[in-house]
Amino acid sequence: MPETKKIKIDKLKGKGLTFEDMIIEFGKIEEEWDEPMGPTPKPNLLALRSWDRKLLERYEPFYTPICDMCCHCAFGKCDLSGGKKGACGITIRAQQARQIALESAIGTACHGAHARHMLEHQIKRKGRDYPIDLGLNVATEAPITRTIVGIKPRTLGDLEEVMDYAEKELQKVLASIHAGQEGDYIDFESKALHVGMIDNLVKEVGDLAQIVGYDFPKGDPNAPLIEFGVGTIDQTKPVILAIGHNAAPGAEIIDYCERHNLSDKVEIAGICCSAHDLSRKKDSCKIIGPLSMQTRFVRYGIADVIVLDEQCVRTDLLEEAIKVKSPIITTSEQNCRGLEDRTDDNPENIVRDLVEGKIPGVFIHDPAKVGEVAVEVALKIAPLRKDIKAIPDTKELIAQASRCVACEACQRVCPVNLHISEALKEAEKGKIDKLAELRDLCVGCIRCESACPKEIPIVSLMEKAVEKQIKEEKSKIRAGRGPILDTEIRNVGPPIVFGEIPGVVAFAGCSNYPKGAKEIGEIAEEFLKRRFIVTSSGCAAMALAQYKTEDGETLYEKYPGIFDSEGLTNVGSCLANAHILGAAVKIPHIFARRNLRGNFEEIADYILNRVGAVGVVWGTYSQKALAIGTGLNRWGIPVILGPQGSKYRRLYLGRKDKEEKWEIYNARTGERVKVDPTPGHLTYVVESKEEAIVAIAKLVMRPNDTTKGRQIKLAHYIDLHKRYMGTMPDDLHLYVRIEGDIPMNMKEEVKEILKEKGWKERIIPDPTLVERLVWKKEAKA
Amino acid sequence: MEKGGKGVRVTSWRMGHDQGPRRAWPINPDAASRLIKKAERPVLVVGSAIEEVDGLIDIAVRVSKTGIPIAATGHSIKFFADKDVDVAEVNVVEITNMLTDPEWEGLDGQGKPDLVIILGVNLDLTNQTFSTLKNFTDIPGLNISRYYNTNATYSFPNLDNELWLEYLNQLCEKLESE
Repeated sequence: MPETKKIKIDKLKGKGLTFEDMIIEFGKIEEEWDEPMGPTPKPNLLALRSWDRKLLERYEPFYTPICDMCCHCAFGKCDLSGGKKGACGITIRAQQARQIALESAIGTACHGAHARHMLEHQIKRKGRDYPIDLGLNVATEAPITRTIVGIKPRTLGDLEEVMDYAEKELQKVLASIHAGQEGDYIDFESKALHVGMIDNLVKEVGDLAQIVGYDFPKGDPNAPLIEFGVGTIDQTKPVILAIGHNAAPGAEIIDYCERHNLSDKVEIAGICCSAHDLSRKKDSCKIIGPLSMQTRFVRYGIADVIVLDEQCVRTDLLEEAIKVKSPIITTSEQNCRGLEDRTDDNPENIVRDLVEGKIPGVFIHDPAKVGEVAVEVALKIAPLRKDIKAIPDTKELIAQASRCVACEACQRVCPVNLHISEALKEAEKGKIDKLAELRDLCVGCIRCESACPKEIPIVSLMEKAVEKQIKEEKSKIRAGRGPILDTEIRNVGPPIVFGEIPGVVAFAGCSNYPKGAKEIGEIAEEFLKRRFIVTSSGCAAMALAQYKTEDGETLYEKYPGIFDSEGLTNVGSCLANAHILGAAVKIPHIFARRNLRGNFEEIADYILNRVGAVGVVWGTYSQKALAIGTGLNRWGIPVILGPQGSKYRRLYLGRKDKEEKWEIYNARTGERVKVDPTPGHLTYVVESKEEAIVAIAKLVMRPNDTTKGRQIKLAHYIDLHKRYMGTMPDDLHLYVRIEGDIPMNMKEEVKEILKEKGWKERIIPDPTLVERLVWKKEAKA
Repeated sequence: MEKGGKGVRVTSWRMGHDQGPRRAWPINPDAASRLIKKAERPVLVVGSAIEEVDGLIDIAVRVSKTGIPIAATGHSIKFFADKDVDVAEVNVVEITNMLTDPEWEGLDGQGKPDLVIILGVNLDLTNQTFSTLKNFTDIPGLNISRYYNTNATYSFPNLDNELWLEYLNQLCEKLESE
């Protein structure tokens, strides 16, 4: 939507009238858009409440409290266990829901503040009128914004309206969490869903701003392959390491190097999402790995300067950096780390103080100045820092290991319960294989070191055990491509909706995996081989780069970066994962000609019933991951979490054993009919990789699948169940709607099972949960 | 190893994971067997981690053969497919969810379990399952996994591997007697 325009006239003379310094201001110009406005532009907390209740009626919240107490106010602590209420009257169920709303709000605030900063930064660089132009193949430039806000943003300035709306909604959700406000658990869940949807929205804004501002790839399926891994770093050059999520300071580092012909002389690398975004800007930037690599990599001492921006940055990194004499520059007002604000100081003075070690780090809230200071410090300090590291030598490793008293405190705080003291006992004898094995499973939280009464640097010992291998670790990851092309959606829309492309599997989330990063690669490969569409973002996209196939290639090398069968896309950072949802939103728009404008409920209903997409968040730690998943749920996309996801406290589970829960409208007739229990859940937890694989195959089924589509999906489900569970599934009768659904080569076997279960054919309706979407004329006829 | 029993403080294996005032009763194999025998419809929930320690699958089979059905969660059904036991495949959060439903009639439709025993389920999921049972049902939870779990109603104490297997063997022997 065009912004407010001002015209300034210095002097205007008329008959007997003179105007000086006159400003004429035009208000908003009405949108030129042939789509009529839908029912819910800029929905408030109430506008989609009825949609949420429809979802939550079928997918009831399931709670697994991680704490029985409420500590939110000074009335407390309140013990809520065993049916007791808190001093404010809250129940344990409502308290879990409240916590979910709060944590989703925190995650959304993180993405929102990031997006607002990126937008302001790009407006400062490029101006409010700078166009949002993603090229001819991405005409639907902002599907989430169009659907929720009801505008078609044409310029960076238009995105300010989106952020204004989002920030207002976030504030209302936070207000509802205060003591004595909302009290009903379903209403808390509705607010969590609302703020999760806002999370999806602000991510789209933030990524659009940086795509156009930095000229990132605009949906390029052939985005370049980027060097990945510690072994790709040229340690003969000064090394600058960026950690976090906000590309602004890192982008200025790249620009400074280019302006001063230093691009070949300085190595720029990143950890976590900043790494994705730097490589989207310049493909020579290296990606070290996911957030679990932070402390480990810093301890190697390879980074000459560390630039921290925001989100998922370990709070003790300054301490770690001091050990290896790497100066730290913090850059985000959300993340100052107690460092002196030198934003207004002369860069030369800052560089001098950092190089001479007078100060361990600085806070600079000016990305351009960060660019200059980081590069100049790196150039000057690199020769002084040679061979400084916090990883012990082998002799020291053995000496440290021998100090272990086997109290198992390390294991008892380990999120994945690694048997650390057993490995240390072996290391004491010079056998480091067990330590090396543990390193592959370690999530990098460093809690073991804090718990150790002997202060053994356990993680550094693990690193030593794999040092040679890690320093040679080289791999490839496809640069974040950003949005999915409209042309790709045109191709895959029909086969997805009819079920002939068996599904879209989207990997997202954090890097605290139950059994290492390898399992994500194994899951992805299974579905790539089966011609699913596989897509990824954030730390999960990096986990896929850590996995190599039998041929020694990464999945990114083996499979093309297209959004199609057998394609593996990396959309980019956490912000960019809005494009995965964006692809699902585009399907009803491009393929089925459904209007997006202010039309959330209809689009979500379409996705829930027709688009066989499932999110996989195998590593789950952050509030952002929770917000992302909760947002996806409101759009009707199920999400599978790894076992640690149960500690988010809430899932949305369907009951396939309760037929009455699966009643919908047949849009063709207006009748209420019972359908197959698909998708079975909205948020689901599984125990193992094997169970995840089978669950994905099941959760991509949709009531709208054609018989051919359902045959394909059932064939995968049965085959995967046999392979990973060792048996035929015992619930086939629920997913075979008519005989034509049975996979051709399994007819006899399946029919036998159906007979045993007393199976009867059901109709395949045109499914919708929303009564107003019934085709009225036909229904009346 | 922390021995359970009267006068001995048993702490959650996960340090600091005591999530409220209520704590599980530490229990030994003898008391566990009496509890199981007293139950009318006990269920043994067995998870994917059953494959991580040699001998555990056999233990589960022995327990089951004393008349206790297995709810095989994760991908553990594959370990019981060729064993002659009463086993049903179910996801761990799905069965926990159904246990919170007052009208649920059990996996076999014959009645809701009145004792939930957990073995070989991922540590986090064991904890969260017992938390749900504790907060939203009247069904007692018995933890015979290796690590003491405060959210259960009754739990083995923290044990080393060897002693844990000994506890489990004793439990089987007690259940098999009579």
